[in-house]
Amino acid sequence: MSENNSSNKSLQGKDLINVGIFTAMYFVIVFAVAMLGYIPILMPMLCVLVPIVGGIPFMLFLTKVKKFGMIWIMSIIMGILMLLTGMGFYSILVGAVSGLIAELIFKSGDYRSASKAVLTSGVFSVWVWGNFIPFFLNIDAYFSTRQGYGQEYIDALTKLMPLWMCPVLLIAAFISGVIGGLLGKAALKKHFHKAGIA
Amino acid sequence: MPAFLLNSNIGKRTLALDPRTKLLLLVTMCVFVLGGLGGAKMENFRLVISVMPLFFLLFSRKWRAAVTFAVLFSTFYWMQIYLIPVTGGFVNFIVIAMTGIVTRFMPSIAMAYFVMSTTTVSEFVAAMERMHLSDNIVIPMSVIFRFFPTIGEEFSAINDAMRMRGVRFGGGKVTAMLEYRLIPMMICSVKIGEELSASALTRGLGAPVKRTNICRIGFRLPDLIVLALCLLAFGMWIMNSFFA
Repeated sequence: MSENNSSNKSLQGKDLINVGIFTAMYFVIVFAVAMLGYIPILMPMLCVLVPIVGGIPFMLFLTKVKKFGMIWIMSIIMGILMLLTGMGFYSILVGAVSGLIAELIFKSGDYRSASKAVLTSGVFSVWVWGNFIPFFLNIDAYFSTRQGYGQEYIDALTKLMPLWMCPVLLIAAFISGVIGGLLGKAALKKHFHKAGIA
Repeated sequence: MPAFLLNSNIGKRTLALDPRTKLLLLVTMCVFVLGGLGGAKMENFRLVISVMPLFFLLFSRKWRAAVTFAVLFSTFYWMQIYLIPVTGGFVNFIVIAMTGIVTRFMPSIAMAYFVMSTTTVSEFVAAMERMHLSDNIVIPMSVIFRFFPTIGEEFSAINDAMRMRGVRFGGGKVTAMLEYRLIPMMICSVKIGEELSASALTRGLGAPVKRTNICRIGFRLPDLIVLALCLLAFGMWIMNSFFA
């Protein structure tokens, strides 16, 4: 199977394996960063930290994306993994929409444009925001499921999450996604081109 | 260490559950114990689901894992009951946080270990195909679960190398510390991924024919019992939240 088999637009086993590998890598990195959320003050900061650090593997992933659907699948699988790690089902819904938009943006750049890739990273990162939706829909119901963390944690977090934070976090996720994309682009230039990977 | 994952010895198994049953079990566990769905009303039932991994681990003869889980979970559970009322201030905060995290995470980790260590990739793929899920989801998912232990292995190897060079926590810039771990790990993963694709292609993945397999999957009596239990959990949640 040759690399320049561009006449075949449907996803092949090789592409799907790539999606799997990069999603696994992305998830491990995101999960490691998200552990910081146990410190209440860092919880809203996750919307900034996760996309910035995650941008580096994501930009490398984008160099492997040549066909429609790969970004979208990754986004949906991230949602499924969030459900499996107990973050609720909102990131599947958000991820399905933001992933599709990200896919369309990258496609409009013919899967090559570097500036579109940075923008794609921004839009893709919006799935992180999906994890925060339960805070704003019904914070009491959310914490009734998290009594184990203790009242101090709950009080600290409630104070940090007024309703106006909802759009702020959305925009923060997008902007940090773009920053992460730029970082990833720099990392690609510095390390991966030299190594002949990207 | 991670060779057990998705690579189990079928002959040794005593409790043969269908992969679909195991997945529902894992989802139930994650949603109710880790995600805490149902709130305080389902506290007792949550305890029942939380101790279930112990039985599965025992049935599948994972003695060490079973004992580790039983000791850890019961210790922290009793700490939660007896230590929280008698402590105060900062100690109380630490105890609550620690017991909260362990009692929430341990059951799901134990269950995930059971599911992963008793399911082969072929079985997983066969069961998913039986559910008529698209290859677009099944292949990435099976790669992901196969790949987690690899990432762990690579990361610890890179960590050793970097420690030898003196790149560690507190030993200089944070960005360098991150960069010197992330980048090698990504390069390794890409290489391993290419090898994995090549190996999968030789096994006919991506060929335009329907792949066959020799896995015996299907629902038997133990499956029905476990399925009933999972459905009971969801049923109770629906009753509690919509009809109470």
